[in-house]
Amino acid sequence: MTTELPTTSEIQIDKPSLNWLPPGLGLQKVDERIMTLNVGPQHPGSGHMRLIVQIDGDYIIACDPDPGYVHRGEEKMAEYRNYILNIPHLERPVIHDSCNVLYPYVLGVEELLGIEVPERAKYVRVIASELNRCIYIMYWLAIYGIFLGHSTMFMWPAGDRELLIDLMEKMTGARVTHAHFVPGGVRNDLPPNFEEVCLRQVNYFEKRIKEYAAVFYDNPILISRTQDTGVLSRQDAIRLGTTGSVLRASGVDYDLRKKEPYDVYDELDIHTNVMKEGDAYARSKIPWLDMMESCNIIRQALQKMPKSGSVRVKLKPNPKGKVFDSVYKRVESGRGSLGYYIVSDAKPEPYRLKMSVPSFRNLIALPYLLKGEKLGNMPSVYWSLNYWPVEADR
Amino acid sequence: MGTATGIIRALNSGIKHLAIKRFTLRYPEEKLKFVGDGYQFDPSTGVGIAGLKGRHLLFHDHCTGCQLCSIACEGVAEAIAMVKVPEEHKHNKKAIMPQIDYGKCVFCGLCVDACPFYALYMTNDYELSSFSKEGLIYTPAQLQVKPYVQQDSEIKITDRGASHG
Repeated sequence: MTTELPTTSEIQIDKPSLNWLPPGLGLQKVDERIMTLNVGPQHPGSGHMRLIVQIDGDYIIACDPDPGYVHRGEEKMAEYRNYILNIPHLERPVIHDSCNVLYPYVLGVEELLGIEVPERAKYVRVIASELNRCIYIMYWLAIYGIFLGHSTMFMWPAGDRELLIDLMEKMTGARVTHAHFVPGGVRNDLPPNFEEVCLRQVNYFEKRIKEYAAVFYDNPILISRTQDTGVLSRQDAIRLGTTGSVLRASGVDYDLRKKEPYDVYDELDIHTNVMKEGDAYARSKIPWLDMMESCNIIRQALQKMPKSGSVRVKLKPNPKGKVFDSVYKRVESGRGSLGYYIVSDAKPEPYRLKMSVPSFRNLIALPYLLKGEKLGNMPSVYWSLNYWPVEADR
Repeated sequence: MGTATGIIRALNSGIKHLAIKRFTLRYPEEKLKFVGDGYQFDPSTGVGIAGLKGRHLLFHDHCTGCQLCSIACEGVAEAIAMVKVPEEHKHNKKAIMPQIDYGKCVFCGLCVDACPFYALYMTNDYELSSFSKEGLIYTPAQLQVKPYVQQDSEIKITDRGASHG
């Protein structure tokens, strides 16, 4: 909602202004009327990031996001570890979406080393990554609920997420950081009786998330707080390079699972959810619709999956790539398109590894969305961008 | 839909949940059930066996002291150190065996994948808390013990909702 701001030039101030500002924080002296407010870096939501917000009364006139507090040097670390030992640390940026954050790396290394993956392993990967997408979105939704002061919406997704975490634990042996995907397939086969348990729990999960409509998405209080706030037009969404749910909420039909199918996504029937509004409400609703689509994909994959067969190709110890061979692979993660650029050398370690992450690309839109908004709308706009600080800093 | 109707619908949706079962797991009294006896790996086929990645289990009679688990862990967590075992307990020529520091271990299980002699597996034991840092370091003798893990509750789905029961 854009409102007429009072012009600061009309106001005469006789008081001498304070000349001293704490150094090193990037603060700058502005008009007396305008106040600079630091949000963070101590957890503005999830993860450490600072927003330098300039406010005039209750209205935001400028916002400068300051990421970089949780930089871990993942890209440099990857140059000192071989292709297999890179797996545990590369899934750390987004531990709730750890299969999807590892997926492009594994696809890229397979192309560099020339590995052919068994058919069953591809289906297991699709199931694992769709379950992980739901786990990530449920966590995101829980935080979105508590950002808006809706504690029921914190409790319900956090509880229902357990159904899928239980499935991932049966499948991979770990609740959060699975380290399940490896170049050449997945690390272990599905446990006996998994298909039946998976189908039952996914069906119940879908029934549960549909109940969120009455309590959250059709709730007039949520609609009044998110509708028409932080509107990102279709042109701006494309121009700023946003991806994932942010792009789809602005009316662009773009999903890498459909546009550039990897593994067996081309054999599955996928529907892309698109909304035209581009406001915080649309951006919060698209991930919820994506979860239902993920449940559909899991059901299809369970049906089409070969019932037996190998899930992993046996590799030589310390596999080596060719000299200066490079590959760029990307997948649709819970937040948007996530890509890895990997350059191989004649060594067991990659020569260079670059992550192109969706969180950082979605953050670029934040200063444009917050201009002219009320300060109270900041959390709903900020978290609707599907931003994950640790992933952006890598 | 009017504002009042919407709010009443939201409240009604919450009130309905008074009737459904409690999903919460009452942890120390009841514990989750896992598939299998923990993550294991078959080096002949190169595929693992599904199970929880918990505390390790070391088979002294299979361990040759080849250090492959320790080398695998160097790039991940540096949790595994090869230590001398007393001569009377020695099962291999070098008399060295892995000792695992669970203050550092990330439970990725790549050490199990690295072992070619069926000597290192993982178990369902996940309750490893200790009052001291030294208590988290498991010697080869401690790793040899097969843990007893209480497992009694599973997710059950009925018409009245899901529960751990």
